[in-house]
Amino acid sequence: MTWGGGFGGGGGLGGGPGAVGSSAAAGLPFAGIPAELQSGVDRLVASEPEYETPTLTFEQNANENELKRLSLWSLLTKYPWMLVLAGLLVVVISVAGQVGPKLTEYAINYGMGGIPGPGHLDFGVVVAMAIAYVVFIAVTATAQRFSVQVTGRLAAWVMNDLRVKVFAHLQRLSLGFFTEEKAGVVMSRMTSDIENLQQLLQDGLSQLAIQALTMVVITIILFATNVLLAFITVVLIVPALVVASIWFKRASERGYDKVRDGIANVLADLSESLHGVRIVTAHNRQRNNVIHHRNVVGDYRDANNYTAHVNAIYGPGTQMLGFLGQAIMLAIGGTMVAHHTLSVGALIAFFLYLNRFFQPIQLLVQQYNTYQQGQASVNKLRALVDTEPEVTEATDATDLPPIEGRIAFEHVTFGYLSDRLVIEDVDLVVEPGETVAFVGPTGAGKSTLAKLVTRFYDPTEGRVTIDGHDLRDVTMRSLRRQLGVVPQEPFLFAGTIGDNIAFARPDASDGELREAVERVGLADVIDRMPAGLDTVVHERGQTLSSGERQLIALARAFLAHPRVLVLDEATSNLDLQSETKIETALDVLLENRTAILIAHRLSTAMRADRIAVVDEGRIIEVGNHDELVARGGRYAEMYETWVSQSDAASHTPA
Amino acid sequence: MRTPTLRPRPSGPPEASTAFVPIAEEARNEAPPAGIDPDKSLSWLRRALPIMRAHKGIFATSLTLSFFGLILQVSIPLLLSKAISNSIEKHTVPLSYYVWWIVGLGLLSGVFGYIARLFLFETAYDIEYDLRNIIYEHLTKMSFSFYDRVQSGQLISRANSDIRSVQMYMTFAPLILVQCSMAVIAFCVMLTISVPLALVAMATMPLVYWTGVRMRKSMFPVSWIIQARLADVATIVDENVNGVRVVKSFAAEEQQLRSLAGAADKLQWGYIKDADLRARFTPLVQNLPQVGLALVLLFGGYMVIHGTLGVGNILTFNLYLLMLQAPFMMLGMLIMMGQRAAASAERIYEILDEEPTVTDALDAVDLVDCTGDVRFRHVDFAYNEDAEQLVLADFDLHVPPGQTVAIVGRTGAGKSTVARLLTRFYDVKHGSVELDGHDVRDLTLASLRANVGVVLDEPFLFSASVHDNIAYGKPSAGRDEVEAAAKASGAHEFISHLADGYDTVVGERGYTLSGGQRQRIAIARTLLVNPPVLVLDDATSAIDVQVEQTIHAGLKVQMEGRTTLIIAHRLSTISLADRVVLLDQHKVVADGTHAELLATTPLYAEVLAQAAEFEAADEDDGPEDDGGRASGDTPLGAMLDAVRAGGRP
Repeated sequence: MTWGGGFGGGGGLGGGPGAVGSSAAAGLPFAGIPAELQSGVDRLVASEPEYETPTLTFEQNANENELKRLSLWSLLTKYPWMLVLAGLLVVVISVAGQVGPKLTEYAINYGMGGIPGPGHLDFGVVVAMAIAYVVFIAVTATAQRFSVQVTGRLAAWVMNDLRVKVFAHLQRLSLGFFTEEKAGVVMSRMTSDIENLQQLLQDGLSQLAIQALTMVVITIILFATNVLLAFITVVLIVPALVVASIWFKRASERGYDKVRDGIANVLADLSESLHGVRIVTAHNRQRNNVIHHRNVVGDYRDANNYTAHVNAIYGPGTQMLGFLGQAIMLAIGGTMVAHHTLSVGALIAFFLYLNRFFQPIQLLVQQYNTYQQGQASVNKLRALVDTEPEVTEATDATDLPPIEGRIAFEHVTFGYLSDRLVIEDVDLVVEPGETVAFVGPTGAGKSTLAKLVTRFYDPTEGRVTIDGHDLRDVTMRSLRRQLGVVPQEPFLFAGTIGDNIAFARPDASDGELREAVERVGLADVIDRMPAGLDTVVHERGQTLSSGERQLIALARAFLAHPRVLVLDEATSNLDLQSETKIETALDVLLENRTAILIAHRLSTAMRADRIAVVDEGRIIEVGNHDELVARGGRYAEMYETWVSQSDAASHTPA
Repeated sequence: MRTPTLRPRPSGPPEASTAFVPIAEEARNEAPPAGIDPDKSLSWLRRALPIMRAHKGIFATSLTLSFFGLILQVSIPLLLSKAISNSIEKHTVPLSYYVWWIVGLGLLSGVFGYIARLFLFETAYDIEYDLRNIIYEHLTKMSFSFYDRVQSGQLISRANSDIRSVQMYMTFAPLILVQCSMAVIAFCVMLTISVPLALVAMATMPLVYWTGVRMRKSMFPVSWIIQARLADVATIVDENVNGVRVVKSFAAEEQQLRSLAGAADKLQWGYIKDADLRARFTPLVQNLPQVGLALVLLFGGYMVIHGTLGVGNILTFNLYLLMLQAPFMMLGMLIMMGQRAAASAERIYEILDEEPTVTDALDAVDLVDCTGDVRFRHVDFAYNEDAEQLVLADFDLHVPPGQTVAIVGRTGAGKSTVARLLTRFYDVKHGSVELDGHDVRDLTLASLRANVGVVLDEPFLFSASVHDNIAYGKPSAGRDEVEAAAKASGAHEFISHLADGYDTVVGERGYTLSGGQRQRIAIARTLLVNPPVLVLDDATSAIDVQVEQTIHAGLKVQMEGRTTLIIAHRLSTISLADRVVLLDQHKVVADGTHAELLATTPLYAEVLAQAAEFEAADEDDGPEDDGGRASGDTPLGAMLDAVRAGGRP
């Protein structure tokens, strides 16, 4: 069983040569490689090693290492030797790169007669200096080569760590987070915010270090050449640069924050439009949405233009300072040469170094932009990683032993928002092997009760237990592995239908798969498909009918062999034909299993051993169908309505 | 049947008809002034040219000022050299003369630099704005068949990273070219000083270019692989965000984490490959110009010693080569950016070159005053290109104005397809779908969809207020109209109980509401538009029976005088219909009232097994119960018998 490349999990991870092709096959028919690139890509992929199947384990609670504050530094220090190596290479590049003007000065002074005097016209000195120059260039180039390799690896590893870390945290976050946060915003954290760091880590940080160090090296050389001139340079230029830089830092931080918010909104809007495209089309809202998108993108553009303004002042501004510096140096240095306190060669070297002093500043500005953007992204990521899951695993949580399936709600009170209770003081015991149906009007809290059993949420007061274990005392994995859930909306992943059914148990054999398919009555549907179980599901299975999707979700739960089954309106989208089929299957599935059924149809509810009528967050009646009808309460009322309606349905059309 | 009024569509692009298109938002920003060149045979840059041309004003200003700025920069080293020879060595000109010139030119270059850079960035962001909107607008035109096969994670990745790399290249490439033109000027200046030394100084530049070309060739595939793998990672994240309930329910976090780690590993390999290739080329590209400096020192030194060159000129040459180093380094970057941009552009064009399959005909007309006469004539339809998997084959159905028809059939029988064809979400393969006697393909999409309101089985809500969600199809509607629609769909009561009532913002896709609540909002959303033809595609499946009944009262009123197609499984929903058609084997196999079908078609009874069986026990209902007996001996039947015995004495 292999997931398609787009999914990347399970046995398909061994990818190898087929990997790139399969990513194209998994859903994007037009993700093909441009023809002229094909051979190059093939050659590259052929050199790709086989990957080991990742053996990562998922822990509900972040371990100590992961709890450390997320920062660039903490990410980098995981690879101390690479950092040290990168640091050494940075030093070599910064020093070896700045020898040139000094060699030029020497050649001018002692080879070309820069210092007047006999024997100072010596071509041998010039040749020696030129050779030395070339040697230092070679050293710099070699160091650069290794530096690119080292920082490239460092960046790739750190990004990988970051992706896994943030994703793992996303998996830990409770349902409440995903309900409140826009999917597009979460997406942009995992994609553009992380990708933003790529440039910074790959060469941004090392460039920052090189340029900063270059400035230090040049300052030292300037002082070594002529203290007075160097002092004047530093006094005149450095303060102006510092002021400009502080202003720039503040202004651009503000700007990039706005930019990041802007792009998150753009992506969120795009994502929502794509997911709701059917509704958009049905309501002719395309034109309006285009206008809306223009406005959102327009805000993003405005934010970008603000940063453009800041950059346009700072970049050419510092360059202008450089020219003014040259003018000053010409005035002062020229006078010094005239008074023979400075050699012509030294003055020329000064000009060369001054130029090199400003060049790093220009580059620093560029790199600092990357740094700012990266830092803004790190801040957003940190906020995400610091979001505490509402439902957490106790540190001393134990594995829930194989359960009998006795579920007990003990004085359970719950509200999604603390001031609005959805469940109030619910007491109910579901005996092992018993099927209890929750019925009641929409919004009464039926689904919420089910979500408390799966521990998507924790009760505000009271407790939910299984076989006497408080759910908060056991590990989530051991709990959920013994639960089977069919949620309201059948969600299909990219991959084949078989992969989707085997979602909870990727190791299931073909025989087991087939059994699940047959038992839920999906066999006809599968047999009608060209590739059977290997038929690829495109974009959440929108080409399948909702009934078919629901059947797949049922087969998925079936295959998981849970002790406790939670069916949340699971059969509501099925036509009666399929429903009859799976109801027989459910009878077998429910055998010896504890089940909670959220039923909207009394016909479903009636199949249960007991029925709990939920209204306004309370259970107002519990009992089997006969008892409840005999009691003449709320259930009897509902039942009466339903009977008369069904009767009416079979007669009315005339 | 009354002849419907048709209005010829005003000429112009298909977007021109606005009567049926709701606009809720005031446009604060302009439309992108140009699109890409549709000619696919052109190079990617040529195809993007119209977009650049639209911003030629500020762009040209920016480039011109950069150019003049560069000339100023080129002249400063010359002044320095002159100052050294004329003021410091020979004392023929006062030093202050050169100092003030340099100050003046420096200030001017700052002003030029500011304007040039601001305009350049503005052009870049304008182009990004254009590209984003062009893609978005194109996506809104795409047909359902496109969205069926494309993953939205892929689209989002294209709309994000790819746009950026194209936009970067399109704006920074010309700037770098302008800076390279400085190389030409500087070279000319160097030639005037000394022809041989100029040639020596520039000797390594062709090598720089050649290395760049090599680099570009070998790095192209790797950047493609990286982009593709970034999209794979995005897809996994997208699925986990949207399918979080399933992942959590089955405790599949670890499995998902591993699948992400697997995708991230492959991406990591791509980045390392990328680093290794850059390591091979970047040092060459960056250091070859430096070798020029050493050569200048060697040959310049020889010339100075022999008196054919002033010492100051060594400085000039050095400064020029340093000035040239940046553009040549950027030339290397430009080459890298170029290959990324070309790969990205191809991926963007792939989207833009996808033609919508369902579009307005050139002579399409607006349908106004629709009476609601719906007719399917010999319709063949398949979702796939190959016609083997027909969903509907020779499907015939006529629904006269005002009638309510229930479409019943097994899962996968093609019921929803009927609805999708009527709203022209897809086009038929053969035959035709007609509204008021007009082939739907002859009508404008906007007018068709304004007249045919459909409530889909998936009640997607937008993250906006309940009010805005209900008024989605008619944003101009006031609160009273919205409330009336909500009342008709039975949504008013629970909405009033929400924290902020109609102003409550529903979370991502409305998951803060239950399935039934979302469905009721979705129904209200369609009712508000008040379409002459209404299609309910499994629209009440998640609503409990009790509530459904109260909705039915409202719906009955709404269906009055409206052609309605109901796709349903529930008997209670079917009861709303005047007529029932049974779908099987891709076509209508039975057509009549519920009672007629029960009496004549065993399959219908089978499909309705459960409900019909229930009826079987009703002593008063004589002849119609036959169909239901088929499943009377199932355990469920037995159970229901017991239920009945207890429930209705």
